Amino acid sequence: MDTSAFDADNSVSCRLSSIIPDVCKTEDCCLGIDEAGRGPVLGPMVYGICFCPISKKEELKGLKVADSKTLSEAERETLFQKLDDAKGFLGWALHILSPNTISTSMLQRTKCNLNTLSHDTAIGLVQFALDSGVQLKEVFVDTVGPAEKYEEKLSKIFPGIDVTVRPKADSLFPIVSAASICAKVARDHVVKNWKFVENLADVDTEYGSGYPNDPKTKAWLLKYLDPVFGYPQFVRFSWSTAQTLIDSKAVTVHWDDDEEDGEKAAQRLANRSMLSYFSAPGGVTNPTQTHRFFTERRLKSLDTL
Amino acid sequence: MSCYSSVTRVDASSAGKALREPLHLIPCEIEHNGPAQISQYFNAAMKDRKHEKTISFRGRGLKGQELICPQGYTGLVLKEFNKPSSDQEDRTLKVSCVFDKLTYWNLENPPNSDDAVVMAMDWPELAEAIHGAVED
Repeated sequence: MDTSAFDADNSVSCRLSSIIPDVCKTEDCCLGIDEAGRGPVLGPMVYGICFCPISKKEELKGLKVADSKTLSEAERETLFQKLDDAKGFLGWALHILSPNTISTSMLQRTKCNLNTLSHDTAIGLVQFALDSGVQLKEVFVDTVGPAEKYEEKLSKIFPGIDVTVRPKADSLFPIVSAASICAKVARDHVVKNWKFVENLADVDTEYGSGYPNDPKTKAWLLKYLDPVFGYPQFVRFSWSTAQTLIDSKAVTVHWDDDEEDGEKAAQRLANRSMLSYFSAPGGVTNPTQTHRFFTERRLKSLDTL
Repeated sequence: MSCYSSVTRVDASSAGKALREPLHLIPCEIEHNGPAQISQYFNAAMKDRKHEKTISFRGRGLKGQELICPQGYTGLVLKEFNKPSSDQEDRTLKVSCVFDKLTYWNLENPPNSDDAVVMAMDWPELAEAIHGAVED
């Protein structure tokens, strides 16, 4: 799989896709959706879709796709190659959510949780298939959240399409297994080829699985903690594992939208070091009130440092 | 309050030796005074596209813009190398960095002319109008 389009700029998200088989534009199709890399604190989360004519479901079964989690990395590679070779009737598309996108979305002023991000990405991919002319009639989705609500949401957005949302759909429906293989292969590639945008000398690539409970991942997170910047963009800052380490081992950073105890914040602001220039010694010590012109510009007259 | 018998001086001669480094004004308070790996983590990751600079710091998205010092002015970063042990002693600040522009960053919002630091640059012109010598 060629993920170079993402690798070229891995701080933003990216969509990759196969060519759209002509038969998918004329025949009624089914589509499967799955994700890879939801849990890890490192690297991207990848959403994958696979689609083919409903009449070709048996042929897809013939490719012997299975849930990507039960396969080895090499087996997934081989299977992806088979899926990609079936371009006469099978298409795929991927949306790679960079860890930086995950961090900045989840830590936004108006926070966007992982479920919303996942749903939006899945919806975007289905829309992409529709916009590409795929005649969608059935959509199968794997989910970790409550299936009914999600199913209702998707059915509303895509009227006329029969939507099935199921936990573990990747082991129930071959088209979802196919999507899960594409997603997992892309995630493996991206993690393996990760080019740090930061100018760090020879980064140790012993990340482990990227899951917070993996000892290798833990060791890596301890090794690459910077006291000021925290982590390179490869790390999802919004994961509690990363946040806990930053809170305990890096310097504290305050943002204006922090949920902070009011009294503490007031105390801290009063202790702030002055950064501006000084007024003449012996000048007015307590100006009664500063004009709005100055407060709006955060300008202060200093008589002491 | 400090005692008025002590004087704070800026050692102007240090300006000649001062560094000219890219300067960033970040919309958060970092409880750290000291060196940081700015070129490795910040400058290297900064993106400058279509007149919009973007970066993330600690997982938060920032948008930035270059800001030029008002004409006739030079920006100074002052540093006190020897802190006096009591508030009776005079203090001397040295210029550790000089700049004629800086990059300021907003949390998520694109920079605009209503940002405080942009508006602050109005002051020198206004100050001149208010306090400048009147010619007749």
